[in-house]
Amino acid sequence: MIQQITLWLQSISPDVLTKALRVTLTILLGLFVVRVLAVVTQRFIMRKSTPQRQMIARKVISYAGFFLVLMGVLSELGLKLTAILGAAGIVGIAVGFASQTSVSNIISGLFLISEKPFGVGDVIRMGATTGIIQSIDLLSIKIRTFDNLFVRIPNEKILTSEVTNITRFPIRRMDIVFQVDYDQDLNKVHDLLARIARDNPWSLDEPVPVIVLSDFKESGIEILLGMWFAKTDFMDLKNSIMKDMVSSFAAEGVRFAHPNRLVKIVEGSAATS
Amino acid sequence: MQKTGIAVWDQVEIAQRQCAAWRFPLRSIWVERIESEWHALSLSEPGNRSEARSMFIPRTQKPTSSQWRHYLHRESGLVQPTPVLPDRPMVVRPDRALTLLPGQSTIFFLEIPVWFRLSTIGPRALRIFEEPLCVLTRTWFGDPVTGELCWGLAARLHHSIDSVEPSAWTAVCPLMIENDSDTDLDFEKICLHVENLSIFRGTLRLWANSLNVIFKGPDQATQIEIVHTPPGFEQGLTLVSAARQPSAGWNIRKTFGMLKYFTDF
Repeated sequence: MIQQITLWLQSISPDVLTKALRVTLTILLGLFVVRVLAVVTQRFIMRKSTPQRQMIARKVISYAGFFLVLMGVLSELGLKLTAILGAAGIVGIAVGFASQTSVSNIISGLFLISEKPFGVGDVIRMGATTGIIQSIDLLSIKIRTFDNLFVRIPNEKILTSEVTNITRFPIRRMDIVFQVDYDQDLNKVHDLLARIARDNPWSLDEPVPVIVLSDFKESGIEILLGMWFAKTDFMDLKNSIMKDMVSSFAAEGVRFAHPNRLVKIVEGSAATS
Repeated sequence: MQKTGIAVWDQVEIAQRQCAAWRFPLRSIWVERIESEWHALSLSEPGNRSEARSMFIPRTQKPTSSQWRHYLHRESGLVQPTPVLPDRPMVVRPDRALTLLPGQSTIFFLEIPVWFRLSTIGPRALRIFEEPLCVLTRTWFGDPVTGELCWGLAARLHHSIDSVEPSAWTAVCPLMIENDSDTDLDFEKICLHVENLSIFRGTLRLWANSLNVIFKGPDQATQIEIVHTPPGFEQGLTLVSAARQPSAGWNIRKTFGMLKYFTDF
């Protein structure tokens, strides 16, 4: 076996061996340099940039670097780059026609990167999907939902759909809509809600919480309590305010409305007779 | 160790298996040293209105709670309690409506509740923990897009230091305000970047850096100067805690909350 390999190596001309060595070195050295450049750019040069910009810079360097390495290897192999590029252009047009959706996604991706409706780390809602953006790539964005599912959404779909960026602004308002019985003292309910919002440590006291008697409903009066909070405090506020409302309402004798029906039996009607 | 008033901020040697307590109005802090661990507990005590005091207590009297936190640290038992200012800007709402007429200036004394910081003393001084001594509300200063998260405080604006009760858990911040505009300056609220201020210790009070505030008009940013020397209202002040984020010279910030932002329906 070893003898066969030795014979095979002896049969290869020194030129071919040198070329093979140079190609291998170009690949290894090129990939190493690209990797180092990407890491240095991300960790040192763009240390203070947003994660999204770091990711874009890393990908631009990686793609450009790989392309240059490929060109270098082809050049080492003695292939004429002009012919390859010309052929690549023709092939590109053919592939482009054959893959319009992918091209559309790439162009949408470029628009998304330039428009910046969201960035890596933002929480977005699109249709029934809500999650944290993990990466924004040329073809799609990848998000992780709160129940730890990986969701890939094509860029074209994002560009043509309504997307809500939940964490774009530093504070948000949480609206809680509920109903109380018609016989409740609404001034008392209003004061109680104001106190609950004021005493809650997660609810901001400025902007002032909103309390609106919003509608007459079938079973009670609908009330909206809107409290502002720092975007990171959603869960704390949601859980604490629900508990505070139930306990304070019970302590003050305020009743939530429940669906009810009043049935009247009229004397002398066909049913009673 | 049985100290009251400003002396509660003196350094303390806590021996092995010894428990120290710092009692402030509204909050009490217990610290116990067991081998290479510091055990700390902070409890809100709304009913406790007595003067600040510190003492050693028998371990049998320490509160039973699941909120004890353990910090691993192998230094000696010498610790330094330090008053520090809150970690975020503070929006102060005066207790009464005040208007400073154009061209006028005035001085106010603000009482800012401090936080309790416990650090070890030694070759490597390390912070063990920090606790607010007063529960402050969370508030937002500015518009919902570019404003900043702050602590909220309803406070009395004292015109004279004599009306400020000596306290070991509040720092007095002298605030000199000049209305250098053609409009009335209504104090609805004022945003102070307390993270830029240091605390100095006097004989009865804690002091923060003096602030010179020049109001140029509702459409222009307010100029604020931090006076880095100790306030001149008491002699012999010593620096006890440096600013969290030291800031030099003049700052220009939107200080007065005069604009109403459309945040409702």
